[in-house]
Amino acid sequence: MHPVQKHLFDTNFKDLAGSKLEGTIAISEELINMGIMDFLNGLKPGPEFDAPEKPSPAPAAAPDMPDPKKLLALLNIDMLTFRTGKGKVMLNVKVSLQD
Amino acid sequence: MPILPQPLATILENPEAHIGGTDVTLDLNLGRAFLNKVLAARPADTPVEELLLDPEAGNLVNLHLQVQAPVIGNVRRRITLQPGPAVSFPDQPWLQFNITAGFKLLDKPIIKLMQSQIADKLPKGVELTSDHLRLHVPALLTSAGYQKLVPLIKELQLTSEANRLVIRLWVVA
Repeated sequence: MHPVQKHLFDTNFKDLAGSKLEGTIAISEELINMGIMDFLNGLKPGPEFDAPEKPSPAPAAAPDMPDPKKLLALLNIDMLTFRTGKGKVMLNVKVSLQD
Repeated sequence: MPILPQPLATILENPEAHIGGTDVTLDLNLGRAFLNKVLAARPADTPVEELLLDPEAGNLVNLHLQVQAPVIGNVRRRITLQPGPAVSFPDQPWLQFNITAGFKLLDKPIIKLMQSQIADKLPKGVELTSDHLRLHVPALLTSAGYQKLVPLIKELQLTSEANRLVIRLWVVA
């Protein structure tokens, strides 16, 4: 893991505290479908899964990855709405990382 | 061009088709410890022995620098930078930092050394003089393979607060 990424995880994203994202994010249907395929492919076991020497299958997430529940607890979500139109999904967002 | 995740590569092929309608502002706060982790991850084969950032309130950033320069040898300097106005396209492509204090009258060897490092190791679009450091954002994005993102950036500004830099990025696609 890159030392910068490790620092962010180890410090629970404290160095990004107060960051904000606000506005509308438009995403094409093609992009969403691509993301779904990427996600599903990520769930498939890798080549190491079948190796007999391994004591147990790899866990779903590496142990040093942040807990998604804890990450979510850091977010202030003031607005998150969803709509569709013209082949796109539109997300209206106003979120921030706790300061 | 770096190898990108497929969704990002798809956006870059045709931003209008894939994210057209986006209008979003990101205020990204970067704490001092994070900034210095990033600087510490620089390549080892540079004559810069120490490089630390210390953002202050009042839009001033101190850069602590220790270099092994020709003629004057090993020197330490604290350079004070003042971030300039926002980048917006196409009229204002430079992200500029005015150097308000730090370089001394006889520091030409340090500046020359840093200019040669910039010319050797960084893409075109980074300019250093005794008065300013400035980055040509479209040139740097283009050399990184992100040319199609250039027209989407309506505003890019960097400001300094106590112990952190704030990057404001406004994107419209």
